[in-house]
Amino acid sequence: MLDVSVISPEAVLFEGSVDSLVAPAFDGQMGILTGHAPMMTLLGNGELRLGAAGGRRFHVEGGFLQVVDDKVRVVTERATAV
Amino acid sequence: MAKGRELKGRIKSVENTRKITRTMEMVATSKMKRAQDRVTAARPYALALGDVISRLYSPELAERFPLLRQPAQERRAAVILLTSNRGLAGAFNANVIKEARTLLARLEAQGTAIELHTVGKKGAGWFRYVGRELASSRIDISDKPTAQDASSLVEGPMADFIAGRLDSVYVVYAKFNSVLSTPSTSERILPVAPPSSAAEQRDYLLYPSAEEILTELLPSYVRNTVYRGLVENTAGFYAAQRTAMKNATDNAGEMLNILRRTYNRARQAQITQEIAEIVGGAAALQG
Repeated sequence: MLDVSVISPEAVLFEGSVDSLVAPAFDGQMGILTGHAPMMTLLGNGELRLGAAGGRRFHVEGGFLQVVDDKVRVVTERATAV
Repeated sequence: MAKGRELKGRIKSVENTRKITRTMEMVATSKMKRAQDRVTAARPYALALGDVISRLYSPELAERFPLLRQPAQERRAAVILLTSNRGLAGAFNANVIKEARTLLARLEAQGTAIELHTVGKKGAGWFRYVGRELASSRIDISDKPTAQDASSLVEGPMADFIAGRLDSVYVVYAKFNSVLSTPSTSERILPVAPPSSAAEQRDYLLYPSAEEILTELLPSYVRNTVYRGLVENTAGFYAAQRTAMKNATDNAGEMLNILRRTYNRARQAQITQEIAEIVGGAAALQG
């Protein structure tokens, strides 16, 4: 499982475990599963999907995503739950 | 019993004032709690951002970023002073304004030209009173400052800094350490201070590159510093207001005690006097 936190300047919007996520990286969608190599990427604007279909969704604008040891931090300028 | 009636009126009036200050104290307490929650909620973002920046930072990269440029001397500086729109908070605004004046005096002594930006009616009011020109003055930022408020506030000075029209940018505000400790602070937000301790280095895959990530994140970091200033200042304001209103309520209570005692004494004196008169009258009749 991945420990995911979604953080905006104003609050932590989500904290929990999911088995996968799809994030809007600066150059297109990016899927992340467990065992990912340590990575940082810039985010673009778009939808962040946590877990499989039916999971939580957020609209994020800018910021970055960091993966290390199955911990994922989505730090974004602006995020709203969809 | 003319004096008695007068005292009664004053007691009533002090009681009413105490009712008002006690209510204001409770309102300030609840607003403070909410503001305090916002301070806590803002922490993870600041930590995450600071952490990543210190991971990516390297002295070789630093030279390429205008936001990290350390000017040899401060010729022009911008000071952003955060105050409140409302008063009744004791010396809260006076303290931040004093801090700002100290900073202005220090900068002016070394020959720096200053442009002053204020947030809140109180700061603007004071500096207008002493006849200082303000580069901008905002009174539209509410109790619940947003990240957008912060970016609209700092975007101008940040652009000027990048263009080389400013050599440094300061924010003066009340830092919220705890309910009882909200010291006035001046913080230099630009140039961005290089991270003091390099975090443990791991081999990250970086997309698109360390340089581009920093290009995005450094401005976010600066905006976030201002956002934190805004939320901490709001929390500090309500903490100060709560203390001020609590003191006012306590003082009103003390005053009531004294007034009630004086009133009772006057009433007792009158009764004693009436009895003495009656006894005196009866004695005269018996003659």
